[in-house]
Amino acid sequence: MRPVIESKDLGIEFYRSRRRKMSLREIVFKGKNLAPKDTFWALRNISFTVEQGEAVGLVGGNGSGKSTLLKMIAGVMIPDEGGVKVRGGVAPLIELTGGFLGELTARDNLYLAGGLHGLSKAQMDERYDEIVDFAGPQVRAGMDMAYRHFSSGMQVRLAFALITTLDEPIVLVDEVLAVGDRAFREKCYLRMENMLAGGKTLFMVSHSEADLRRFAKRGLYLQQGTLVGDGPVEEIIEQYNADADAAR
Amino acid sequence: MILLPQARGIIARRQVLDTLVRRDLHVRYAGSPIGYLWTILDPLAMALIYFVVFTYIFEARRVGYQPYVLFIVIGVLAWQWFSQCATETSRALLAESRLVRSTNLPRELWVVRIVVAKGIEFLLSLPVMFGFAIFFIAVGETKIHYRILLMPVAIVLQFLLSVGVGLILAPVTVLFTDMPRIVRIALRMGFYATPIIYGVHAAPPVLQKILLLNPMAGILEMYRAGFFPHELNVPSIISSFVITFVTLIAGTIVFKRLEAPVLKEI
Repeated sequence: MRPVIESKDLGIEFYRSRRRKMSLREIVFKGKNLAPKDTFWALRNISFTVEQGEAVGLVGGNGSGKSTLLKMIAGVMIPDEGGVKVRGGVAPLIELTGGFLGELTARDNLYLAGGLHGLSKAQMDERYDEIVDFAGPQVRAGMDMAYRHFSSGMQVRLAFALITTLDEPIVLVDEVLAVGDRAFREKCYLRMENMLAGGKTLFMVSHSEADLRRFAKRGLYLQQGTLVGDGPVEEIIEQYNADADAAR
Repeated sequence: MILLPQARGIIARRQVLDTLVRRDLHVRYAGSPIGYLWTILDPLAMALIYFVVFTYIFEARRVGYQPYVLFIVIGVLAWQWFSQCATETSRALLAESRLVRSTNLPRELWVVRIVVAKGIEFLLSLPVMFGFAIFFIAVGETKIHYRILLMPVAIVLQFLLSVGVGLILAPVTVLFTDMPRIVRIALRMGFYATPIIYGVHAAPPVLQKILLLNPMAGILEMYRAGFFPHELNVPSIISSFVITFVTLIAGTIVFKRLEAPVLKEI
């Protein structure tokens, strides 16, 4: 069976000092070439494969390129070198509330965001109750309210409930398990475990050792844009902690 | 072939496109009790101003064809679709940056969706135009010519032109902050550089040649052909077909080239 995620020599280059924006004023007064050419590789030579059903945790310090890697797997950023092949649909638990608009009601938002992730209206009708039940009674009571009147916790709960019902074979998680209150977090964990048990592939970024140990079997360790470790999650966490302690 | 994969990507996601267009229209019409009226009120007010200024003050009826009101209404409505598309598509990726960042859709969709939404508003404003046409037919000032069949062609061509322009503007704006200002000025100039309130025949010969380079000139020619049975300006129409397809291909290439840097910026 072919791997579901296959990254080969993946690399992406960013501009360092400032956004690569040019303004007309600068071109007119300073000449065009003043835009700094100072770049760095946020990720480079990243090669790995993930088999179906694997649970992979991505470890690394701030700015090591974890989220960027996740975005490229999700297809919302394009690599400058190499590429990543993803076989199957992706449920991205990244920027959860990205598809939601403050001024529309929660209900409209749910259908809209579902539509953006490829669910038809009929499919949404089918799943509506399940999603809202999972998000909790507070959310259900406010489904006809403007989304911006939701508390941020409720906003994320609804979004989490939607994305996790997408039924895609690959689940990408970027630190979102840290949201919601204690009771809801436990619900999220259970759902994640169910998804894993159902044979889904999990690819998660987390700074929480507890989350990593709970969900991931395998760890990938990123250090300043290079992949420096790939192995059982326990070993990778040890390696990461050892490096972090040594740097202190 | 460069256009095919993009077109296929959009068609495969037509359901998402439908969702987005519905949202746009919903947001636009839900907030105001007379939502639909605003779509037609604005161009009608403009048409009224031009009519008064040019018929009563400058007494320059000759610059257009008779009936002049109908002539201006067609021009202003079609131009409004084009100019709104240019303005909004230039902000398409920035305005929806959260959505663009969090959903893996063909990115061209964010441009096409605006052109479609604005196009639906344009179609909704067509009854006004036909209202004027029927009135002038009833009073015997014009009649319907079989060339009215060119109108759907004009709509399709204007759609493709707007998509092409939008595909250039949307990514460029992300990397080049001053683009919306340039677009605003260009559109203001474009209004007068397009035969909206005057006909090509009224322009001096040199200007007539320059107008050949304006794709909207040929498109307006086709919109009006059904009601103003003067001699059809065929070179202008051919030129707008050519320019539209060149723009569309250029837009697709520009968009593809700039996609990766744009995604890093937003």
